[in-house]
Amino acid sequence: MDDTQRQRMLESFDNKRADKYPLEEFQSIGKRGVRRTDGYEKATGAAKYTVDVNLPGMLFGRFLTSPYPHAEIVSMDTSEAEKYPGVRAVLRYDDPELPEGASLGGHELNNVAPLSRVAHWHGEELGAFVCADSEEIAEQALKLIRVEWAQRPFNLDILKARETGAPLTNPEDNPAGNLDAGGLYVEGHGDVEKGFAEADKIIEFSYSMGQNTWIGPERPCGVWRWNGEFAEVWVKQQRPHICKRAISMWFDGLTMNKIDLHCLYQGASFGGWSQMAWNLGGTYCAAVVSRRTGRPVKWLFSRREDFYGGEMDAGTFYFKVGAKLDGTITAVEQRGVVANQSMLVFGIAKHLMDNMKIPHVRGITEGVWVNKGPNVPTRCEQNLNSYAVNLVTNQVAEALGLDPVEVALKNDGAEGHDIEWLNERKAELGFPTRDSLRECVEKGKAAIGWDEKRHAAGAKRLPNGRMHGLAFTWTHEWDDSAGTSEVAMYVERNDGTVTILGCRADGGQNAETSYAQVAADELGVPVEQVRFKHQEDAGFYTMTPDTSTNLSVNAWAVRHSARLLKQKLLEAAVAPRGVTQLASFPPAFPGKRADELDIKDGVIFEKADPSNRMTVADFVGPSGAQGPLMSPIGEPILAGKEGLDYPIRFTPPMFEDAYQIQRGTYLGVRLRFCRQAHFMEVEVDPETGEVDITKIVTVNDVGKVINWDGCEGQAYGGAIMGAGRGHTEEVVHDPRTGIMLNGNLLNYKIPTLMDVGDIETIMVETGMGYGPYGSIGIGEDVATVVPALLAPAIHNALGVWIEGFPATPDRVLKALGRA
Amino acid sequence: MATVERTRAVSEDTVDLIVNGETHTVRVEPQWTLQYVLSEKLGLTGTKEFCGEGACGACTVIMDGRPVLSCMMLAVECGGRPIETVEGIARSNHPLIDAYIKHSCMQCGFCTPGFVVTAKALLDRNPDPTVDDIKEAMVGNLCRCGTYPAHIKAIQEAAAVLRGGGSRG
Repeated sequence: MDDTQRQRMLESFDNKRADKYPLEEFQSIGKRGVRRTDGYEKATGAAKYTVDVNLPGMLFGRFLTSPYPHAEIVSMDTSEAEKYPGVRAVLRYDDPELPEGASLGGHELNNVAPLSRVAHWHGEELGAFVCADSEEIAEQALKLIRVEWAQRPFNLDILKARETGAPLTNPEDNPAGNLDAGGLYVEGHGDVEKGFAEADKIIEFSYSMGQNTWIGPERPCGVWRWNGEFAEVWVKQQRPHICKRAISMWFDGLTMNKIDLHCLYQGASFGGWSQMAWNLGGTYCAAVVSRRTGRPVKWLFSRREDFYGGEMDAGTFYFKVGAKLDGTITAVEQRGVVANQSMLVFGIAKHLMDNMKIPHVRGITEGVWVNKGPNVPTRCEQNLNSYAVNLVTNQVAEALGLDPVEVALKNDGAEGHDIEWLNERKAELGFPTRDSLRECVEKGKAAIGWDEKRHAAGAKRLPNGRMHGLAFTWTHEWDDSAGTSEVAMYVERNDGTVTILGCRADGGQNAETSYAQVAADELGVPVEQVRFKHQEDAGFYTMTPDTSTNLSVNAWAVRHSARLLKQKLLEAAVAPRGVTQLASFPPAFPGKRADELDIKDGVIFEKADPSNRMTVADFVGPSGAQGPLMSPIGEPILAGKEGLDYPIRFTPPMFEDAYQIQRGTYLGVRLRFCRQAHFMEVEVDPETGEVDITKIVTVNDVGKVINWDGCEGQAYGGAIMGAGRGHTEEVVHDPRTGIMLNGNLLNYKIPTLMDVGDIETIMVETGMGYGPYGSIGIGEDVATVVPALLAPAIHNALGVWIEGFPATPDRVLKALGRA
Repeated sequence: MATVERTRAVSEDTVDLIVNGETHTVRVEPQWTLQYVLSEKLGLTGTKEFCGEGACGACTVIMDGRPVLSCMMLAVECGGRPIETVEGIARSNHPLIDAYIKHSCMQCGFCTPGFVVTAKALLDRNPDPTVDDIKEAMVGNLCRCGTYPAHIKAIQEAAAVLRGGGSRG
């Protein structure tokens, strides 16, 4: 690699600018019909998940759970459980080997008790971990544990919990009160009072959000096996890199190189449970029991236990908005009280600043703890921001008699500046100056029939007696591009296929295929010849779908690595093929320079004379012994020393590695250029409050499509998940007992194939993303932005605003004053 | 406080499970579900447990020609009755497999085998299903990733292949 090439590599890390060195020609990138690399395994049931791991002699571990929303264990008798046939170990909270705290994974390192004595919500795992020959025996044995509980006062209501003198909901973590210690988040710019004074109209409204949750199809689980002093661990986790780092700190320091981690296919968690501080608690307990019993241990949560916890949008919110008569928004003040945010409280007015020209914004978010499970980013923490953009845009439009699309376009911008200012920044950074929002809304309006179908609120009754509603929302794409990615890549001997190494969790986004496409097109090999081995710990960790990032970091690392590997191949092709005690062997392309060669379709060739060619497979040669008499395949290459004419291969290993480090796209780091716009059509029954979502149109500016199936799958899949979250999904607790009432899939309603009507997914490619080739990820976005569409859609149908989500029939009837 | 006999009184039964054309003589406890025996005892882990209570379709197998929820069937009830799992459907090179890959019907993939089995049962009894037929047949299969639109296309395509109206490519 010469200085120019090295400089280009370094410039690629400058993730504030547009991609300066995109490919001139794409082979598989952006083409339809690329076969997904996990397709056959998943379609045939061959794909293995952690819950499928079944090792010889394996024990199954389950946890005691709290029957109360707030209680502590005074004493516990496990003797009957220990005697139950088939039980091999009962680990107790007071076991001397259990530390008071250990780093138990999640989004960050932390310090949490692996087996707690105190429960702060109904169903919390605590007290005892029973391991038996089967899960069923463990479950039966749990019923034999006699616990003396001391019940404590509990509180499920965030507004009551924040009152002075309210009983403490978690005195262990928050002894001074129920306000989250790190939980006051203040943000904004300008002076909102000045903005309100400039406004022609002041609009005030509020809403509340019930708690929705992730529903991982694969139950939370993990497996631990000691192989002598080496630990072999299977994790159902989105962040295997954090898991291994945490595990290496256990037991007075397991060294990193003694831990073998497997991260099999993931039965999805959407961030969710995978973010929680205690999500390796089971793994810690399994490790202890595995060492005592000499047997592998699999721990599992029950289906119901997967429901304890949720998305971090549960709360109540108040808005005051000032606007000019033409729809120009002059100021927004937003206050929110949110529940149980077990990571740092996230701002709720970010999108109003990130992608709007509103000069005066103020957001205050208060975090309060109640006796329910922890709430974490679940596809994703920007939900409340998406609600804010939606409701502010649509409420202003309604109050002023304007089209919400026009209100959006009028207020599009960034950090208080207008779109012209933003376009200047795009140009400065090397991006095209496309009007992303306008392109998105034009396509979306045409697809939904906006201009033809739009009507005044409550004005269109359908022949079936239902009221017709049409709605629009928008915001920016927020692939946050934060994190570190490492990958390695090598050419396999014998056949020249390419393997990518980099441990990551597969969440089903078809990401591995996308990375294979990047590697293939950069290297000049067919995409079918590239495989990403992502499930094994090979010492390289890529970003998984976490920290709102996936492709926009990993694909850089893949691209760096592929470009280095290609350069290595070309340089090796013109260099002597190694020196041994016998001789130096002649180059594959004698007398040529590396820059005179190229690779395409797996063939190295001379650009000026493509007939001078050699396949990559032939070039790298066979594996194993390559010396005389031992190499039966391939054409002979003469050793170059008189008298030696046996076949011989000698090329160095074609292996390279690369990495990418990026800061996130948060305010002040990078501006948001790409936009998304979504449209929903509903029919609402004013008698029953029932809402029928008949059509959703999603439009995403993805910058550049790498993989169509991946982009479209995230869009329509997100639309369906979002529709469920906005419409039917809510975890309900009994206010008298604090007990969760619907922790199962019969009573917690996720959408079926018949619950959402037609979905049309449209991709816009402006090239304004910070990822390679101008791409930007959209995996979180649609599922997060679509839920709030229910509010303006119902308003357009009925002429009333619902004041709470999800938009269940009772809330719709309440808005109509009929419940 | 629950009490349980100190010694578990478990009676085991032997059943002949005819799975994908092969007979397996399996000792089962009376409370074991078919899903448990298929995945844990026969290693057929394509039959997935998602909800565990008959609400999601992930554990669907075909028994006596009909799709059934194997988490709601006791293994002792299933002796002598032909059972087809996703592994058997894959082994028969059913066109649904290629169609599912082509149309990217899977995301996390955990529920996908259940969809394939339900779809196979549909095509067995209805070689030319309409979109409404497909929706009606598949409505009991839940997918948290929201892959539903892709399944309709894939099932239509597989149906066309089975009728000779398309290629498996």
